[in-house]
This record gives sequence, structure tokens and C-alpha cells, in this order.
Amino acid sequence: MTINKKSIKPVLGFLGMAMMLVLPSVALAGVPEPIQEDKLEHGKKVYFKRCVWCHGVEGGGDGPSADRLFTRPRNFIQGTFKIRWTDSGQLPRDEDLERTVKNGLPGSAMPAWGEVLSDADVKAVVQFVKSLVQDRDFKDEDEDMEVMDWGGQKNGENPWGVTGPYFTGVPEEAISAGAELFKKNKCFECHGGEGRGDGNPTMKDDWGFPIVAADWTQCWNFRGSRRNAFDPFNVVRTISTGINGTPMPNFREKITPEERWQLAAFVNSLCPRKNIDPLVNKPVTDFLIKSKYTVGPVAPNMDDPMWQAPEHDDRLPGYERSEEYVNNGGDQFWHYIAMGGQITRGERNFDPKVDNLWVMSRWSDEEQAVYYLVEYHDRFLSTDPEFPDGVAMQWPGQLEDLFGAEKPYFIYGDSKKPVDIWKANFMAKDYNPTNAPNPAGYDLDISVKELVGHGFDAVEPKETPGGVEIVQSKFHQGRVKIMFKRSLSTENPNKTDVQFPIANYVPVSFMQWSGFDKEHDEHMAISTWVYTILEPALPASLNYMPPIMAIAFFGFQLWLVRMTKRTRDMVKDGTWK
Amino acid sequence: MNKTFLSLIVTLGVALALHFGVKPMFLPKEPTMIFNRYAFFIVLVLSIIAVNLILRLSPVMTMKAAYVWGLGFYFYDQILYPHVPWTLFITYMMLWTIGTFLYISQDSKTFAEFREPIVKTITGEFKIARYIVFAALPVLVGMGTYKFIYPTYPEPVELRTVHPAPPATTKVHGKTYTLEGLQNPYRVDEQDNYYEGGTHLPVEGKFPFLDAESVEYMKYVTEGGTVFFQNCHYCHGDQLNGLGMFSHVFNPTPANFVDPGTIAMLRESFLFWRVSKGGPGLPNESTPWSSAMPPWEEHLTTEQIWKVVLFEYWYTGWHPRTFDEESSSGGEGGGGH
Repeated sequence: MTINKKSIKPVLGFLGMAMMLVLPSVALAGVPEPIQEDKLEHGKKVYFKRCVWCHGVEGGGDGPSADRLFTRPRNFIQGTFKIRWTDSGQLPRDEDLERTVKNGLPGSAMPAWGEVLSDADVKAVVQFVKSLVQDRDFKDEDEDMEVMDWGGQKNGENPWGVTGPYFTGVPEEAISAGAELFKKNKCFECHGGEGRGDGNPTMKDDWGFPIVAADWTQCWNFRGSRRNAFDPFNVVRTISTGINGTPMPNFREKITPEERWQLAAFVNSLCPRKNIDPLVNKPVTDFLIKSKYTVGPVAPNMDDPMWQAPEHDDRLPGYERSEEYVNNGGDQFWHYIAMGGQITRGERNFDPKVDNLWVMSRWSDEEQAVYYLVEYHDRFLSTDPEFPDGVAMQWPGQLEDLFGAEKPYFIYGDSKKPVDIWKANFMAKDYNPTNAPNPAGYDLDISVKELVGHGFDAVEPKETPGGVEIVQSKFHQGRVKIMFKRSLSTENPNKTDVQFPIANYVPVSFMQWSGFDKEHDEHMAISTWVYTILEPALPASLNYMPPIMAIAFFGFQLWLVRMTKRTRDMVKDGTWK
Repeated sequence: MNKTFLSLIVTLGVALALHFGVKPMFLPKEPTMIFNRYAFFIVLVLSIIAVNLILRLSPVMTMKAAYVWGLGFYFYDQILYPHVPWTLFITYMMLWTIGTFLYISQDSKTFAEFREPIVKTITGEFKIARYIVFAALPVLVGMGTYKFIYPTYPEPVELRTVHPAPPATTKVHGKTYTLEGLQNPYRVDEQDNYYEGGTHLPVEGKFPFLDAESVEYMKYVTEGGTVFFQNCHYCHGDQLNGLGMFSHVFNPTPANFVDPGTIAMLRESFLFWRVSKGGPGLPNESTPWSSAMPPWEEHLTTEQIWKVVLFEYWYTGWHPRTFDEESSSGGEGGGGH
């Protein structure tokens, strides 16, 4: 080749742009950007300070932390990069890698390095990472690079003109068209019937490590979505480019760019709008679970309107008057509880498969009982009776003896302050993770055990159980729902049961075991202590105090008129001095 | 038409138009742009004055006072940034109300002018105004009462001591350590002079920190980093900023080592104690029951703990607080920093 590559690149770019103007669905072609050798020394320094711990000395994704991460850190050697604007199997642009380094990959351990590294550092380390690729060559003339286009949309735009942060207002037609495309293209084979990533339990990446499909109802965990979890563009990009190294193909032949946006609208609509903490890119935990006062008995059926609540957080802009909330009477809320691995004591769990729970609660004055509906997403359940699935609620055993904010130790209590644990273990009936999903869901073979914890090594069944019941339980399309019930007070001869005082803050925490991943005993997911409160009935004074105050004020006004008139008359008479 | 009434209408019109039409353009995208808000407020005040002057409306004193008071309320409620707490807002408004009264009562004539429409409303000379005011105020009082007695349950607040006083001695793996004067055995040079020296820089094709030729200090840092990334980064983060994968789960949140308020102001012996004993080793005021920090002596050797501490300082670039010579040699009157 005689033509200098540097001079041909702008020409190619110009041609590409001209083509895009004429034919909006043609991708922009190009060649990989060669490594900028002058930045390597700088990049090496950054890499060996910041990146080597996960990605390893040679970029093989085998640093000290790699074995304890799910999903594992990327192996750079084959030049396989997930988040790109180029086609499946192709090398990424520098810009793509820089964006990944800067924004991190949510749902994995990769943080947003843009917070600490300067732009120069990021550019340099990207060049160094490119130099770690051994199996391919960024200088190779045969390496094609086609930059995907998004149906004529510029970066940051979508066809409906909706904007963030919560991207509300995508038209219903686009969403339902997307739902059709979802069926037609068989996305459910991996992502499950309702998009919770529960389609295929046997997936592996190119290196043979197990991986799972994305849960569309938790879009803040989408790789490549940082700072913009609800932006449908993230989905369009993934459909257009595929995810290298995973079974996710691109759909550029099968789905037109316009249809990709419709499919993205559907996927995006499944993700509940929650208040996202920008620091960690996860929904903010609800520190207080409000238990609603209920007249008469609580419905023991979670399909009852009593147990319906909007998916979206109504407190967010755009959702203050959401239809589902208004129709529902504004009574119930899903409370979000974040879960992490138990990495403190005993056999630790660094890669829990469940990272949140959703909780709703009611209590009944008539029944003198409290109900907790716990829901979480778990792609696959266990079929091994030795490792059943489980979820537990943990309470201070002797709440009345605690002073102020004092609580038992958050994992199984301590020798002085016991905890009361309600642990439900279950297996789904007639269930196999590889079977086609049962549209009716699965009933659970569930049993509840009451335990008392006096410390990490001293967890035993209660001698005098307090009568915790499982009212109803269900597993449906990657979602577990379990309803606990217990009376507000128990006989409590051994002082091991929590007693529920009304209108007091009661600490509670959660534990969860994913049997499919062989989680058991202390190898579990945990939450920290949060609070719950049994909201009392509205006070009767609400009915009579406002009119009394209004009438009293009216009397004051009459008095004021009288006094003002009297003063005036006195001034006129000259008796005022 | 009554000029005062006209003034009220145009003033409200101008204020609403500016509030909804112009204010969004001035709202800061970033907190550093707050001057935009103040500029908008000046524009608002000047527009109101200008409209009243141009139309030659000279509203009565009562109306002027209402404008002044209302603009103050608007400023503290809508313009001032960041938003002040409710109690402070009340204090500001009380001061502002006193200021408005001073403006009204500058002489007996303005005060009489201010008082006149109020008295006329009360005595019934302004008949319609009286009906409206006397009907509306009790309703407002009733609504206020309702709002006041409607029960709300806010999230409880938990306070804790972040850096408790360390004990005099601590027992780790059966050996008792006196924290006063305790030094990190792996810290070759307190000022980390080896780091910038360059001898540890990458040797081609090798893990630079594991290179046998590199200085001892970097060897220990690397070993500490390995332990950190196998155990600690899940909470404290890859950047050591307390934003690891599990950080959002826990309350209290994991410590941010990059922040100058944490390891930069502590001694290495304090870190040694905190890492060894974890959450359960904390005194009561630090809510040991909530802390997810493991007692690391259960998982790590004493040597590994010291190396992790060394790594944390190297990675963040901070230097630990040190003991002055008198106290570390056991002399009296030590302990000052």
C-alpha cells in the first residue's frame, strides 16, 4: 500500500458521513486505531497501580481478586471487549475503551475510573491495555471495524425525544411493538419469559466460566449503563453490537435499527424507576419498612389489591401521580433492601447471586398479627435437597432490653443480645431449571424454622417457637415471593421471640441463600439492620380537632372586630387616651 | 381600575412569568453555578419595580410591604442555595419580617397607610375583602391543624463515633501489642522515599511489584495489595474510596481511605487495631453491632494485616500520623502531634 493511512482516514470518515446522510442505516466502516506507542510508558504505570489487581500482570483477567469475582475480570489477551460501538467480534475503538474505563461496568467490580484518573491517564492506560492483546493486532490491515449506527439517531438521542434521568414517556405503541419483537426473536430463550435472565442455566463465556443473562428488571446492573441506567440507548447498543465473549449475538441482520429502538423501549419499560445513588449506581435502600394499618383481617393472597403496589417509586419526578399509584389508593410501597455477600465470618460468600429484596408489609388490628411479603429475583432455584433455597428475617430477640440504637450483632447476634430468626427453606415443586418455564409459576415446598442466635457459632432451633407461618409462596419466571405472618406478641417463655410494639421502630435484617449456587449456612447474602414500624390507625383527633380550631379562630376574628370597632368609637368620642 | 389592585395583578403576572418562564434557564446544572440564581433574583426584583414605575402604579403601603415580605420569602425558599434547614429558614424569615416592619414604620404616616386597609377590612368598610378573609382564614387554620396532627414516621437517625479512641493494648493472635509507639514492621522508610525513586518501575514482561530486584518496600506493598484485592475491595472499593461492590448494602458505609479524614489522620497502629478487631472490636458508641467489618485476625496473619496497612497508604499516597520521638521512646509528656 502506498497511500499513507493517516491521510486516508479522514477521507474514509468523510465518505462514511456522506453515506450516513444518504442511507441512514449503513454502518460506518473503518480500520482499528493502532497503538500510540508514546503513551505506553505512562499507561503501564497507571495499569500496574490500578488495574493489575483484577486484570493480572499480562492482562489475562487473573489478578489476585479474579477467583472471587462473578463475573470475572476481562481477559484482554484475545482482544475481546464487551462494550463497543463496533460490530460483533471486532476490535473496539479507543473511544469505547476509554468510556468503559471512565464509567466502569455496573453490576461488576469494575469501578468508574473517571472519578480518580485524569483524561490523560485514561487515554494512556487504554493504549497499554491494547498492547496486552496478543491474539490480534491493532495494526492488522485485515481487521475490519464497522461502527454501528442507531437508526439515524445521534449519540444521546432516541426516536421519541424522551430524556433522563428516568426516561419517562416512551410511547406505548413502541413498547408493545417491542414486546412482539421480543417473542419473534426468541430473546426469552436466554433472558426468560419476563426478562429476569432466567432462560438458560448453563451458559458459559468464551473461556468456559459460567455467566448469566442480564436481568432486565434491574437495569442499573447493565454493563455499559453507568450514570444513565434508564437510558434505552444502552439496550440499542447491546442489540446492535452484541457482547463479545458471551452468547449474546448482535441482531443487525435480523432487526432493523427502528425495530431495535422498539425492542429497547420494551426492555426499558420492564425496569422499575428507582432512586439511584449516583455514587454506587444502585437503588437507595429504604431504611424504614412501613407496615400498613389494616382494618379487619389482612388478605392472605398476594394477588389481592391490598398487596398491589406500583413498581416505580412515586416520589420520583414524573411518577408523582402515576396511574397505578392513584388507582391503588396510594396505600402500599415496595421497600428496596440491598443485599451483599456475607464476607465477615466463617465460610465467606464473595459472589452472592441475589443483591436485593423487595419488602411490603401490613398488620391487622383485628388479627393482632403482622405480615411481611418478601420478594426477590433469583434466576434459578435449587433441585438438590441438600442445598434448598432459603430466605430469613432476623429480629432482636429481646427488643425491650435494648437501649437507644443498640442492637444485637448483625449476623446471628451475640452472647448478650440474642436474635430471633424466621428462616424459610424451600424447593419448587415439579421444577427443573432447564425445563421450559411454567406459565403458572411453581408452588413451593416450603417450611419455616424459628431459630435463636446467640452468636455466630451458636444458632439453634427455638425450644418454644413463636408461631411464624408462611401464608403463601410462589416462584414465577425468576421471581420468588414469600409471605410471612406472625402474631404481634407471643407467650415468649424463654424471651427469644421479638414482640411488636405499635408505632415503635423495630430493627430487622434479611438473609438469603441461593441453593442453585450451593449457598448454605453462613455462606449467604445478608442485609444490614434496617427498621420496620407498625403504623397505628390515624388518630381520632384528626376528625374533630381541625373544625374545633377553625371555629375557635372564627371566634377570635369576631372578638377582633368588636375590639377594633370599640377602639374606633372611643377615638371618635375622645375617651381614648 | 383601582391602581393597587392593578399593581397586584401585574406584579403577580411578572413574578409568575419569570418564575416559570425564565428561572429554569438560570437554574444551576452544577453547584458551582449558583450565581446564576442570584442574578435571576435581581432580575426579578428589578422587573417588579420597573413594571410598577412604568405604569405609574403606586400601590398602598400594605401592598408594598406584602411585596417586600413575599420577595424575601421567595429568596430564602427558592433562590438561596443550597437549601437551608427548616429551622434556619424560620429564623431568617423572622429577621426578614422584622426588617419589613422597620420599613413600614419608618414614620407614622407610612405606618398609618399600612394599617388603614387592614383596619378597614376588619371593621367592614371593605365588605367583600372582609367576607373573603374571615371565611378563608379559619379554613386555613383547620387545614394547618390537620397537617400538624397527621402522624408521620420519618426514618430514624443513627449517630455513631467514626474514629473511637483505641485501647492502650490489643491482643492479636495471642500476642499483646501496646499501641502507643507501635510501628509497622514493613515500613522501610516513613516517607516512602522508595516509591518515586524509580528502581521498582516495571521490568519488561514481569509483574513489577514481584520483581526480585525491586526494593523490599514494593514487595511488601504488592503482597499487601494482593491481600487487599482478595478480601477488602468488595467493600472499600478498587479505588479505596469506600465504594466497593457491597458498599451500598452496609450502614455504616465502608471507610473511604482517599478522604483526608480517615487513614491520613490516623496512626498505623490504630489501623492495625481496627483491621485486627473489625466491627465487633469497636466500643459501644461506634455501634459495633452494625459494622460489617470482619475481625480480620480470623482470616489473616499479623504479617498480612501490616502489609495491607502499608498498601493502603501507598495506594492513596497518604502518610500515616507518626509518634513524636519522646512518646515512642516511652518518655513522659509524649502523645502530642
